[in-house]
Amino acid sequence: MKTISLTINGKAHSLEIDPATPLLWALRDHLGMTGTKFGCGIAQCGACTVHLDGVAMRSCSVPVEYAEGKQLTTIEGLSESGDHRLQQLWVEMNVPQCGYCQAGMLMAAADLLQRNPTPSGEEVDAAMTNICRCGTYPRIRAAILRAAGDPQAVVRYAGGEA
Amino acid sequence: MSDVVLNRRRFLVSSGLFAGGMALSLSPLAAVPGGVAAQPAKVPGEGDELDPWIVIRPDNRVIVRVPCPEIGNGAATQTAMNVAEELQCAWEQVEVEFCDFTREWRQPGTYAVGLQPFFGGHSTDHERMPYTMQLGASARERLKAAAAARWQVAASEVEARGGELRHGDKRLSFGEVAAEAAAIALAQEPALKSPGDWWLIGKATPHKLHLPQVVTGSAVYGIDVKLPGMVHAALKQSPVHGGRVKHFDSAAVMDMPGVRAVVEIDPRKSVGSPVETQSTFGLEDSQLRSGVAVIADHYWQAKNALDALPIEWDDRLGAFWKSNEQIYAKQEEILQRWQGKAITRKGDIYSVEPAQTVEATYRTPYCEHVAMEPLNGTALVSDGRLEVWHSSQDMQQAFWVAVDESGFMPENVRVHQTQVGGGFGRRTMGDDLRVVVAVARQYPGVPVKVIWSREETTRQGLYRTLLGASYRAGLDRKGMPESLEAETCFSGLQLNLGFVDNIYASNGEIENVRLAVSKFPLHIGTGAYRAPCYNSHVFTVETFIDECAAAAGIDAYDYRHKLLGSWDKSWRKCLQVAAEKAGWGEPLPRGQGLGIAISNWPAAGEKNAGTTVCAVARVEVSPAGEVRVRQIDMSFDSGRVANRDAVSAQLEGGIVFAMNMTLNEELTIRDGAIVEGNYHEYPVLRMADMPQINIHFDALSGHERFAIIGEAPVGPVGPAIGNAIFQATGKRLRSMPFRKHDLSWG
Ligand code: FES
Ligand code: FES
Repeated sequence: MKTISLTINGKAHSLEIDPATPLLWALRDHLGMTGTKFGCGIAQCGACTVHLDGVAMRSCSVPVEYAEGKQLTTIEGLSESGDHRLQQLWVEMNVPQCGYCQAGMLMAAADLLQRNPTPSGEEVDAAMTNICRCGTYPRIRAAILRAAGDPQAVVRYAGGEA
Repeated sequence: MSDVVLNRRRFLVSSGLFAGGMALSLSPLAAVPGGVAAQPAKVPGEGDELDPWIVIRPDNRVIVRVPCPEIGNGAATQTAMNVAEELQCAWEQVEVEFCDFTREWRQPGTYAVGLQPFFGGHSTDHERMPYTMQLGASARERLKAAAAARWQVAASEVEARGGELRHGDKRLSFGEVAAEAAAIALAQEPALKSPGDWWLIGKATPHKLHLPQVVTGSAVYGIDVKLPGMVHAALKQSPVHGGRVKHFDSAAVMDMPGVRAVVEIDPRKSVGSPVETQSTFGLEDSQLRSGVAVIADHYWQAKNALDALPIEWDDRLGAFWKSNEQIYAKQEEILQRWQGKAITRKGDIYSVEPAQTVEATYRTPYCEHVAMEPLNGTALVSDGRLEVWHSSQDMQQAFWVAVDESGFMPENVRVHQTQVGGGFGRRTMGDDLRVVVAVARQYPGVPVKVIWSREETTRQGLYRTLLGASYRAGLDRKGMPESLEAETCFSGLQLNLGFVDNIYASNGEIENVRLAVSKFPLHIGTGAYRAPCYNSHVFTVETFIDECAAAAGIDAYDYRHKLLGSWDKSWRKCLQVAAEKAGWGEPLPRGQGLGIAISNWPAAGEKNAGTTVCAVARVEVSPAGEVRVRQIDMSFDSGRVANRDAVSAQLEGGIVFAMNMTLNEELTIRDGAIVEGNYHEYPVLRMADMPQINIHFDALSGHERFAIIGEAPVGPVGPAIGNAIFQATGKRLRSMPFRKHDLSWG
């Protein structure tokens, strides 16, 4: 057990915790922040994606002590009132199905757009390696391209002529 | 107090009277003048409810209590749409809540309407849809009556629109008179609107109602439940299904950080329900598997202790099966005997002297759902009461499993439905909830959250049925089949949809048909896996027909077109739309191919029923054998669609699911146990693997049904890809997954 200080979504937290505990479980179990999801535990699925000092990371595979002294952003803090452009488009374009993977998807997509505000389709494909079992990839891709300024994206990818 | 007019039984009887063809149609309802006579309240609303389904708050929020979980298909939202259409509220006012099944137990019929009412689907079921619309209409008329009473005018002069009641210049919101409306009984049930007057159904395409919570991380899935004093459990069940815990050494882990208890999960200790159960699917497939759980303050602590816990297993009979090869060889041996039980016989297959015979044997393996939310649940046992929080796919099933495992009276059991992180059939049986209750029962007084690791979720599945099938067709001189003989061998859950009613055997075009089934029981748990068994049957049928076309030297599209004959025109239309849009017949570069397949869930053998789906796949195979699915064109006929965008989303998702099933998925059995545990061993397609997906609405017939849409697309995508690979390479794929075949050419 060790005292770990974390800055999450701009707020300071202090935890009595085994420093080897994965950041994911520190967030979910110890802090009750359950927006960040557990999918695989081995950095395969991306459901647990958060931003550490502005960079997307799979929190299931990062010990909590590694986050000490860094700025941590979770889905709960992606925007102040749920109005990040991606969040808006996600709802508007009916992107999620069950929704379980989508916190991780949004965090990964936000990270991509921060690094590359106008990605090509191929760049989106290369950057977005999270898993969605419901198969929402075409809509995620379209929403990211829309956010990046391609107004045609929805027509081409989200449901053909729907 | 409040008086609710809609008596379920009487309502159904009455609507049956005037609906005539209600099973197929909605419009006759609306055409009926007058309506149903008022009935004494059987299921009264409580407090400020207008009825058990509808609550309107003073701030004008409309809460629709739905009996169906939301697994991602939009069933909860669609149910609310049905109500809102007639209620005449604004869509922005609407929220959904999941109903309380205990109330259904206390007052049967409160929420149970239509087929599998508590399942995460069927929101446009032919009974439930008009029923829920009637609820909305009834509530609207009562709101109008309440406003009329305030204004001292005739209710018929009051207009309800956009959540507002109007008379001349006077205005009241629904919420302002909801409490008064709750106390009003109507003398007559209103007639439903004519579909031509709908403003929401078939017109608007609202997104699912829970999305704002999803995108901010505030939606609560089963795994997210937080309760005061809650502890966490990690579990391990016998790696060989049917095996037993022989020994475990709790003392070895009791001193580890946070550990509180180690408990055994013992199938012999399930208590059994004190009353006759009314579960949706029966309780056999919900039984416990022998195992051990470690309970700790936090999940990570529980998991670490479990990993360190010495456990000895008695594998029992399942260990006899050493490998997939051994199992597959046995299956083939059974099929080669052709001794299955006939389920269809037409004409005489032995009388045919064909110009040519085509024969082939196919196989689809065990597959896991790998829904993104690992299995889990939370339960609190205290003072003879059980409360659970669970991401179930069927609330009725979950409820009765909870009763059965605890042995408590149903009125002392409460199941809280949460959001569901993927269902695909895995969360229907309640086996997961039973484990949760079995663990919590041994640690009463505090809520216990049990989480399956990803590995445990994968290895303790209720898998897609392992299935093999042999086909034999006799072709005449023109290459068309005169006889068709087939046998399907099931290891696990048996459903014949897609096989017994496959269009070629059931539409009369082939005169001599014999279809048979055989069984090869194994110890491995199986269950519903998105469009159960159909997802295999369509692969076998549609690949075999393609083989017949190739043997006859006839184009795969023309061959099917001919075989569909004069059957329900919409099938030909689906075929034609998908083929045209995909550019069927255009020359392709070397290494590319187009493949086609068609099917219907769940009613291929009936006209104007179910959803017919046709897929055309465009694939590219590199000379080294690497497959890339470039494009999928899908046409479909579900009659009508209630929410165009929601339907499209289900078809898109169904295509991706089917692609993964076809290309990637196969569980490996070694010494009776499942080998694969996590996504690195059980690959799932990602964004970069996606084809261009085109959903075509042009084949919709406009027939009055709103048929279910989630299952149908999982059928034809696989065979369409396989048939395209054959076109591209000349290699015929007769087993899934395709990634395990050598497809190199040139
Ligand atoms: S849970 Fe972290 S990548 Fe899957
Ligand atoms: S929306 Fe269900 S897993 Fe992505």
